[in-house]
Amino acid sequence: MENIYDRTIDLGEYKPEPDDDRIICRCEEVTKGEIRRAVHDGMYTITEIRRYLRSGMGLCQGQTCAKLVKGIVARELGVSPAVLTPATSRAPMRPLEMKIFAKEGEEDE
Amino acid sequence: MKRYDLIVVGAGPSGLSAAIEAAKRGLKVVVFDENEKPGGQLFKQIHKFFGSKEHKARIRGFVIGEELLAEADKAGVDVELNATVVGMYQDKEIVVRKGEEVFHYKGNAIIIATGAAENMVTFDGWTLPGVIGAGAAQTMMNLHGVKPGNRILMLGSGNVGLVVSFQLKQCGCDVVALVDAAPRIGGYGVHAAKVARTGVPFYLSHTIVKAEGTDYVTGVTIAEVDSHFRFIPGTEKHFDVDTICLAVGLSPMSQLLKMAGCEMEDNPKRGGQVPIVDEYGETSIKGIFVAGDVSGIEEASSAMIEGRIAGIAAAKYLGYIEETELKEDVEKNEAALEGLRQGMFAPKNRGKLIKKTEEGIDISMNLLKHGFVADDEIERFPGVTHRVGVHPVMECTQNIPCNPCQDACPKHCIKIGEHITSLPAVDEAVDCIGCGMCVASCSGQAIFLVDETYEPGFAAVTIPYEFLPLPEPGEKGYGLGRDGQKICEAEVISVKSTKAFDHTNLLTIKVPADYAMKARFYLAQ
Amino acid sequence: MSRTADVIIIGSGVIGCATAYYLAKKGTSVIVLDKDENIGNGGSARNGGGVRQSGRDPRELPLAMYAVNNLWPTLSEELGVNVEYHKEGNLRLGKTEHHLEILQGLTDRATACGLDVRMIDGAEVRAINPYLSDEVIGASWCATDGHANPLMTTLGYYRAARRLGVQFYTGEEVTELQTIKGKARRVITKKNVFEGEKIIVAAGYESRWILESVGIDIPMSKDLIEALVTEAEAPMFPQMLGTADADFYGHQTDHGSFVFGGASGFETVNKDNGHNMTSSITAPCICRGIMKYIPKLANAKIVRTWAGYEDVSADGVPVLGEIKEIPGLITACAFTGHGFGISPIVGTLLAEVAREEKTTLDLSAFRYDRFKAII
Repeated sequence: MENIYDRTIDLGEYKPEPDDDRIICRCEEVTKGEIRRAVHDGMYTITEIRRYLRSGMGLCQGQTCAKLVKGIVARELGVSPAVLTPATSRAPMRPLEMKIFAKEGEEDE
Repeated sequence: MKRYDLIVVGAGPSGLSAAIEAAKRGLKVVVFDENEKPGGQLFKQIHKFFGSKEHKARIRGFVIGEELLAEADKAGVDVELNATVVGMYQDKEIVVRKGEEVFHYKGNAIIIATGAAENMVTFDGWTLPGVIGAGAAQTMMNLHGVKPGNRILMLGSGNVGLVVSFQLKQCGCDVVALVDAAPRIGGYGVHAAKVARTGVPFYLSHTIVKAEGTDYVTGVTIAEVDSHFRFIPGTEKHFDVDTICLAVGLSPMSQLLKMAGCEMEDNPKRGGQVPIVDEYGETSIKGIFVAGDVSGIEEASSAMIEGRIAGIAAAKYLGYIEETELKEDVEKNEAALEGLRQGMFAPKNRGKLIKKTEEGIDISMNLLKHGFVADDEIERFPGVTHRVGVHPVMECTQNIPCNPCQDACPKHCIKIGEHITSLPAVDEAVDCIGCGMCVASCSGQAIFLVDETYEPGFAAVTIPYEFLPLPEPGEKGYGLGRDGQKICEAEVISVKSTKAFDHTNLLTIKVPADYAMKARFYLAQ
Repeated sequence: MSRTADVIIIGSGVIGCATAYYLAKKGTSVIVLDKDENIGNGGSARNGGGVRQSGRDPRELPLAMYAVNNLWPTLSEELGVNVEYHKEGNLRLGKTEHHLEILQGLTDRATACGLDVRMIDGAEVRAINPYLSDEVIGASWCATDGHANPLMTTLGYYRAARRLGVQFYTGEEVTELQTIKGKARRVITKKNVFEGEKIIVAAGYESRWILESVGIDIPMSKDLIEALVTEAEAPMFPQMLGTADADFYGHQTDHGSFVFGGASGFETVNKDNGHNMTSSITAPCICRGIMKYIPKLANAKIVRTWAGYEDVSADGVPVLGEIKEIPGLITACAFTGHGFGISPIVGTLLAEVAREEKTTLDLSAFRYDRFKAII
């Protein structure tokens, strides 16, 4: 497989692996098996995996699991991890209380 | 909106260096950092740095951090701490959380120096409390004075794994094993050797099978792996531990750049997702620069130089200096950077097995596999010589960019020469006075003073010693070999701690003459 | 790779995926193309998940009511994924007399169309949702409205359609449509050529430029609007919320996080850097809006903000169905931010149109050629 654009490619049957129940995304408690199954369900990009499973959508925003998820998806698809675009980076870079985000301070210019 | 000439995100080595260079050239500069203490990783680095004078070699990392802060202050840089950058928006706007509010700022130029985050590997039980990053362990120990655990297994033999293992030992932890799936140690041999001689066993071609425990880590099982990194059944080894440290690499924290729309690439050689930049660290968005680990994982010394280059380039971008000044100033820094990117650990040699030194000497394979140079290998290196009376023995066996020992000797009896990566050699024509300056100056703690004829039948060995409590003269204990095993009885002759040694104490022990070239560490009875 | 099918759908959003699914279910062969590398990366992945009937234009209301009555309740079962549909009501909140007037107008129009929606006072609002502040003096209440998870719905339709043999190709940017002997037939992308008996353009605002290649224009603009999500909170309330002032809308998801959308007032003029860029002032504004209505959420942590384009129709309702001038060409665009809630029925109707079957509901109000000059 050279790219992730052709969603008709047959990935073969999903075969369970002994460590499928290992948690990969700690924040949202997503397992390796769930990620592998999602790929077989047609989720070929990191963005689709995130939206389908919530991996990397928790408090750390994928800081811990991004590389791990990427490796699992790439292996399942038979592509190099570099082919997979990392998830979009979104503000706020750190979780921020609504009341703080809401309060825009003024400083002398 | 409040506007600065230059906004720097991250008060680590590269960010502060960038801010200093820019402010010196007349820019109005602010540095934002989310931490309560500045300096990024520098304030966790209690070891002496490698390199040459221009790289601040043999100065401890946190001292370099303090120096940078003082320099920044003098240059008029505004360093704002507890200031978390929430996002980088269009038109070079930064939103910063400070206290219970957010503030908007614009920069005519921006330098992103946000550094990196630790990688993780997974194994059964990897989410148990007690599995921590090596960097986290370092933060606990060196910033907060908290002992991370009592019995610890370290995974990863790169410089981070090696340096932190040593610091864990200094902190009083028992490091039960240093494990790496690779067949060879990834970090500097001198770092490995100083860990090995304290008795930490190395398990190369091994990795973690599982962390044990129900509520927290109580043990760990490792096993050997084959060349495809598959476990070899029957090779499992168990250790009772309460902490597992992972030192398996870093990933650039480049999210702000991606958010702002800078062109990015996935570059495994640089550690992950990094911005595409030119020679000055300028991204695809004019006026947004990067420096340090965020643009590719290296180490603090090169981060500082990259920071300086970006700071100078920002000054040029905003018209504070002319093209000629840019070229001149950057050239100097590029030469310094080039100096650091030499030797067997240079970025270009990453992953290669180098079998001979630049001098044509066979590299110690025992060092690469077990963390120490074997007794039958050590004699072939130029720093290891025999002579009557006290003399330095430099167990520096790999070409790394480092030369403080050359300047440390008041008698100039240590020669490195033109190439900063050359192995140090002894000038036989000059007499050693046994002052120990070379021992204390060696960032790799690889220099010893040996007097093979100290007393009839006995030799004196002076070792760098950074552990507390310090032994007392007259105290009896054991000499440990390079492998950390007890090899002979030893008696402490003297313990020297002078200001010039900068907390590297010189411990001189008396050992049987046969062990003069073997005993390299001391263990109290 | 196969480049022909009965139907070529341009756009893998919830509309494209739903249409593909209903077509494949009836045995029609389908190719879905998207210029993005991700499935459904436009508004389908960025909206607030409302499944509302109240507040809709009377032309659109029958579609919303049909979807709520007949399609949403069984959609999870149908697709084999949990689309997190909740039919537990929509509160459209008002804080001033002027707000109540707006709400009364919307309510009157909806009840005239047969929707069960009514005005309630502040006390009744807080009886339904005790977390709402005393500033709220009234609301319109539609008990059969609700919300669902747009990500799971879009990807659920995609997954189900793919299982039925629909061919999805991402990274296929359409450059033009071509007619053969007067019929829409060819879809030219930067990389390939696709052919079908019918072509359905469901590509959001980009539909405008795709249709331009065959001389059709849909009068629409695009607004860059924003939303945000909090960390997971303990379950608080199941209703969908909106306001008369349109300063925010949103709900609590099954996951526990709150998804809220809102506006800074600059949506029609917001600029973009090619990355669906959020602005620095919108999220703070949305937060201020939310806190006035739900003070308890002041300490909830925002974990992400995002932006997405809304394809805004010149008259506020979408363009749906056949383009008579060009046989074989069908479009579904200009949803004006109301597309998600009606996506199951729109998919059903477009499948019927493409198969030349009698449509379940009348689509004439959504004709492409309805736009006339004002004088």
